[in-house]
Amino acid sequence: MPEALLLDMAGIGKSFGGVPVLTDVAFGVEPGKVVALLGANGAGKSTLMKILSGLYSSDAGTIHIDGRPVEIRTPADAIAYGIRMLPQELSIFPDLTVAENIMLAALPTRSTGPLKTLDSRRMEQEAAAMLKRLGLDWLSPHARMGTLSHHVQRIVEIARAMVGNARVLIMDEPTAALAEAEVQLLFSIIRRLGAEGVAVVYISHYLKEVFAISDQIVVLRDGQNAGTFVTAETEVGAVLEAIVGSRVGDIYPPFAEASAIGGEMVTVTGLAVPGWVRGIDFSVRRGQITGMHGLVGSGVEMVGRALFGAVPRTSIAGASIDGRPYAIRTPGVAVLAGMGLVAAERKREGIVSMLSLRENLSLANLPRFTRGWIVDRRKEQVATGEWIRRLAIRARDAEQAIGTLSGGNQQKVCLARWLLGELKVLILEEPTRGVDVGARQEIYRHIRGLANQGLGILLISSDAEEVAGLADRTIVLAGGRVVETYEQPTDAVHLMSAASKSAAA
Amino acid sequence: MTDSNTISATPGGSARRLRDVLAKPWAGTAMLLIFYLIILVIFTILSPYFLSLPNLLSVGTNASFIGLMAAAGTPLIIAGGLDLSVAAIAGLAGVIVSLSYAAGLNIWVGCGFAVIVGGVVGGANGALTNGLRLNPFIVTLGTMSIISGLSLVMTGGLTNPLMEDSFNWLGSGRIFSIPFPLILMVVVFALIWWVLNFTPFGRYVYASGGNPDASRMLGIPVDRTQVILYVVSGLSGALAGIIVGAMLGAAAPNAVGGYLLTVIAAIILGGTSLFGGRGSVWGTLLAVLILGTLNNGLTLLNVSSFWQDVTKGTVLLLAVGLDQLRVRVQT
Repeated sequence: MPEALLLDMAGIGKSFGGVPVLTDVAFGVEPGKVVALLGANGAGKSTLMKILSGLYSSDAGTIHIDGRPVEIRTPADAIAYGIRMLPQELSIFPDLTVAENIMLAALPTRSTGPLKTLDSRRMEQEAAAMLKRLGLDWLSPHARMGTLSHHVQRIVEIARAMVGNARVLIMDEPTAALAEAEVQLLFSIIRRLGAEGVAVVYISHYLKEVFAISDQIVVLRDGQNAGTFVTAETEVGAVLEAIVGSRVGDIYPPFAEASAIGGEMVTVTGLAVPGWVRGIDFSVRRGQITGMHGLVGSGVEMVGRALFGAVPRTSIAGASIDGRPYAIRTPGVAVLAGMGLVAAERKREGIVSMLSLRENLSLANLPRFTRGWIVDRRKEQVATGEWIRRLAIRARDAEQAIGTLSGGNQQKVCLARWLLGELKVLILEEPTRGVDVGARQEIYRHIRGLANQGLGILLISSDAEEVAGLADRTIVLAGGRVVETYEQPTDAVHLMSAASKSAAA
Repeated sequence: MTDSNTISATPGGSARRLRDVLAKPWAGTAMLLIFYLIILVIFTILSPYFLSLPNLLSVGTNASFIGLMAAAGTPLIIAGGLDLSVAAIAGLAGVIVSLSYAAGLNIWVGCGFAVIVGGVVGGANGALTNGLRLNPFIVTLGTMSIISGLSLVMTGGLTNPLMEDSFNWLGSGRIFSIPFPLILMVVVFALIWWVLNFTPFGRYVYASGGNPDASRMLGIPVDRTQVILYVVSGLSGALAGIIVGAMLGAAAPNAVGGYLLTVIAAIILGGTSLFGGRGSVWGTLLAVLILGTLNNGLTLLNVSSFWQDVTKGTVLLLAVGLDQLRVRVQT
């Protein structure tokens, strides 16, 4: 018989700009239990958790805590109800001590005359008590945060989250950068919390970990519940099926025909980035989309940019592009060699948001639009107009600041800008992250179109479904090494199990 | 009820229209121009001497050396850099010219030295900020201190005469009865405007400041762009120092240093973002003229020069505040 639910979310709905992101989602946690929340990128996991932690408000649905209906409008509300979220990125204060980091939101004070001053002694005592509660007696509250290793900082973050009456702890990819022993330490802390009755929501792509730590698994797909499993009574395959669904294929263009695939466009041997990639070999063929898949932290996120010359301390044994030897130096050199890269972090590395669509489009190929000393604006405008039409970019005109376009339309510009030059190789990092389904389909179609024109395409994505739907062949990375190579299109279930196999190698 | 309805309806419509106008890229410069015209009208009413061609020309001439430095500083700040040493370079340039002249060298050779030194210091600023990735504020604060110190060391803090007709013409000469420094300033502004708006380099300036990471990922030479702009800023400092020396007929080691804040204030007042990526030289030119006109007008009205700094600061805060409001209204 199930215990009473500590947290019970029902009928949750949310849409952004008319696009539904969550529809009638139910999610519940029993006290002291660990529930894994799984789903592909864009399935709605983080939106659901942001609603729970008060960062977003839901359009529909109810939230009950201890059987009583509650309204969570702000992060402060969520904290008051005992809901704590550990974000994926560390948010620590490296120059403060462990005790200060833990107690920052609830610094104990005492009255000194008319003033309230920090009670350092009590702060340290409370921090030490919290560390002890988590089984971390060996950690000194006086240690400066910045001197600790990454996983210890993570753990201090957990201690900070537990201050006050924490009842539900949400952990988003907590093990992304942790080694095996560190993961075990984290798990021991989660078990301790469970013994105290704290419920944990565990978001991860690493199925091995999910099966090791969780009591229950909830799967979301396309913003809806796609399955709820009791971990001990289920198989990995069933969970993968639920994550991927059976709908694969309808938004993807057909694969390359064997006759269209040409010779090797890029060959790479011994590509290494300290701490990320441990010397990998791969090649990309003309006319083919080569997929590269791996989970967060597998090194896959570094491969494209390292090859492009954008990562310091990259080393390589040998590389060639279109038969010509290629030495990694700077992105400028890569561009001259015929390479283009569409960066995953569009806002940070893709667009110059205050410049116009036209200016963003021509930026990488400005010499092409230059006559004598002068940039030929008419030529730019003509080219921009043409690409707006060909890629169906929804914009007022070529002069609109690109920062005001939607993510999908920005991405189309990032794609189009490389098509102006004589491109040989296009590296795509997470090409549809934050892009709505409609624009996604168009972007996939254009990527395929580029391959058909004879370009070599390297598609780097942590979205297994996307790689399965688009790539003609796929390389899977884990722990900085190639763990599997599929010479034929394969399905997302295979990719995901290959990628999560040796996560913490 | 009906009254309140009509009242709320009318501003609704005009607010939208106002918002559309304010969203135009030239709206900031237009606001500055209106502000300038208002100042002109006020001073014309208050002082009978203000609105005359000789007076207005003298405003432009007196602002010209500030304008030279602000013109070169604008693209540098747009590209994400900052040069606090430019006014100190101007002081050093005057010192170099006067010392070479005193040593018996041809005065134009001295000018050549000054220009070279200005370029070299600018290059050093660029190398330190881009090569070693040091913060431009710190780097140019350091070079500013070094250079103004050197100027004092080289002269013992004394002012040296610089009297030679052909040289002094740079400060007081006229072409078609327009003072040469004013012409030089306008030409430099036009040149920089042209480069910023019509050349690939100009585009790289905006891109480098707007998003250096994205620009690097597109293969744009961000570092080279910035280093070139630091050199140009250094050269503008040297040129400004030469013009001041020619105007005054003397070179004092600290003749220009005090104008650094006016240069930076003009660039910011002109609508250039300190965070890079946004700005125009015409805004800077207007701001230089506004600050110069305020000085001139207040002097004509016998306002103490101590109050003029207060006015300058107030205008700067007002303008930047209004511009921020303008940006917010748009979104």
